[in-house]
Amino acid sequence: MEDLIFILSPFFVIGFGYLIGAYFEKQHYESIRKRERQTLHLPVVNYGCKQPLPEAREARLVVGEVVISPDAFKTFVLALRNLVGGRVTVYETLLDRARRESLLRLKEEAIAWGATQVLNVRYETATIGNSSQQGVASLEVIVYGTAIR
Amino acid sequence: MILTTLEGVPGKEILEHYGIVQGSTVRAKNIGKDFLAGMKNIIGGELKGYTELLQEARQEALDRMVLQGQQLGANAIVNIRFATSSVAQGAAELFAYGTAVRVS
Amino acid sequence: MTYKPKEITEEVNISKIHPLTNLAQLLGTVVGVSLAIYIALGLAVDAIVPRIPIETEKAIGDSSIASAYLLLGGTPIENDPRISYLQELLNSLQDPEDKIPLTLHFLKSPIVNAAAIPGGHVLVTTAFLDEVKSENELAFVLAHELGHLRNRDGLRGLGRGLVLNLGWSLVFGTSGGGDSSVVGTVINLSSLNYSRSQESAADLSGLNAVIRRYGHGGHSLDLFKRLQDEETDLKVTEYFYSHPFSENRVKKLEKNADKNGWSMQGEKTALPQVFSQ
Repeated sequence: MEDLIFILSPFFVIGFGYLIGAYFEKQHYESIRKRERQTLHLPVVNYGCKQPLPEAREARLVVGEVVISPDAFKTFVLALRNLVGGRVTVYETLLDRARRESLLRLKEEAIAWGATQVLNVRYETATIGNSSQQGVASLEVIVYGTAIR
Repeated sequence: MILTTLEGVPGKEILEHYGIVQGSTVRAKNIGKDFLAGMKNIIGGELKGYTELLQEARQEALDRMVLQGQQLGANAIVNIRFATSSVAQGAAELFAYGTAVRVS
Repeated sequence: MTYKPKEITEEVNISKIHPLTNLAQLLGTVVGVSLAIYIALGLAVDAIVPRIPIETEKAIGDSSIASAYLLLGGTPIENDPRISYLQELLNSLQDPEDKIPLTLHFLKSPIVNAAAIPGGHVLVTTAFLDEVKSENELAFVLAHELGHLRNRDGLRGLGRGLVLNLGWSLVFGTSGGGDSSVVGTVINLSSLNYSRSQESAADLSGLNAVIRRYGHGGHSLDLFKRLQDEETDLKVTEYFYSHPFSENRVKKLEKNADKNGWSMQGEKTALPQVFSQ
């Protein structure tokens, strides 16, 4: 019986990870959509000053940054997917959330400063920690640009 | 849809812009290809299996970005940038983004 | 150039598949393919095992005997008057065609069990001998283990275990269980758990040997019948764990004996004096 619990324990973790992870994902998407609507009025572009720009007196660097980690369920599915190959659908939502959340943070920072536009926006993604068996695999998404007002 | 990596479209003027559009996909390689790649590591040369995989993924990321642009009613996406990152052991993310615009 | 705020309503960066459906598809593929590979390699092992020379079998068995001691939870006893008797009984039960020299290991252990390890090693525990009431039933159990040796079931188990281990380490990059000795791990996993068909083949081979030795199979199955009544007893569950026992096993043997014209009636041969001391 103890052996059985020992063998099954990873599956409990995966199941727990799925339930909680899916719940938080849903919550996060709701929050993202709401805030995206709230910040929609701020123009964000990734081209620079070679295009005609609106009159501005001040410029400033704005950054949005997110570090995320997959849940046990996603990690397990990825491990299986690594054998078969192909599209890792469970990670798509993870990265999509991270991208949108980081851009939202950039926009919120810019709005708080009173920006009229954010220019020359760049994304950067990095794996933090160890992505192999040991250590916590986590992803950082950073987005940065120049806010003007 | 006009796709450029320039700040605009040459010979055309940007009339409207709609903000940033992005497309991404996460792909894993399979162990069969891994094994063949291991063999190839001995003799060197192009890893055709991986090249194909990444090409396919890159195309999908672009397609998804274009889909977002179409939703916004854009007819061009300018200043496109690619970012490839290894999100986990054996899995890579292909990410493309740009600014959706309407040109004359 | 003006900015026109527009909302992106359709999610294009997320695939429309439910995560659990995705998981089910993945699991199906992975399990199916690995099962196919395992079966194919298992068949390969079955084809190779009968061709392994005796020297190799001995080398494999000798290296894994220590883990077999651990498995039966005992330490070997060197000077006990029962050892020479057991060794002689074991030798007398060996099929004349089999060339491999037999070694009997007598273990001091509270676990009721007997086992065969490749390379002609037969292990018997003290607790097991305490359960034995006559030479006939002892002979059958020993001959059953000899049957496993003869059919090289242990080697088959090892081979399949190795295949599993190899596959595991290929996929996950580490050897299963983190044991430094691959053979050691494998022994724990599979050496004492044979399939039902392997068990009944060993049973038949065992009964055959008993008939050869005594001329009849009388009383040789008494131990089984007795142990079955005690199956709930903690001491003997271990034996049934590695030797799945059922009513069918006795019935099958009796049917086979009938078919071959073997007599299942006969005199009981008592155990020698050393046992009653």
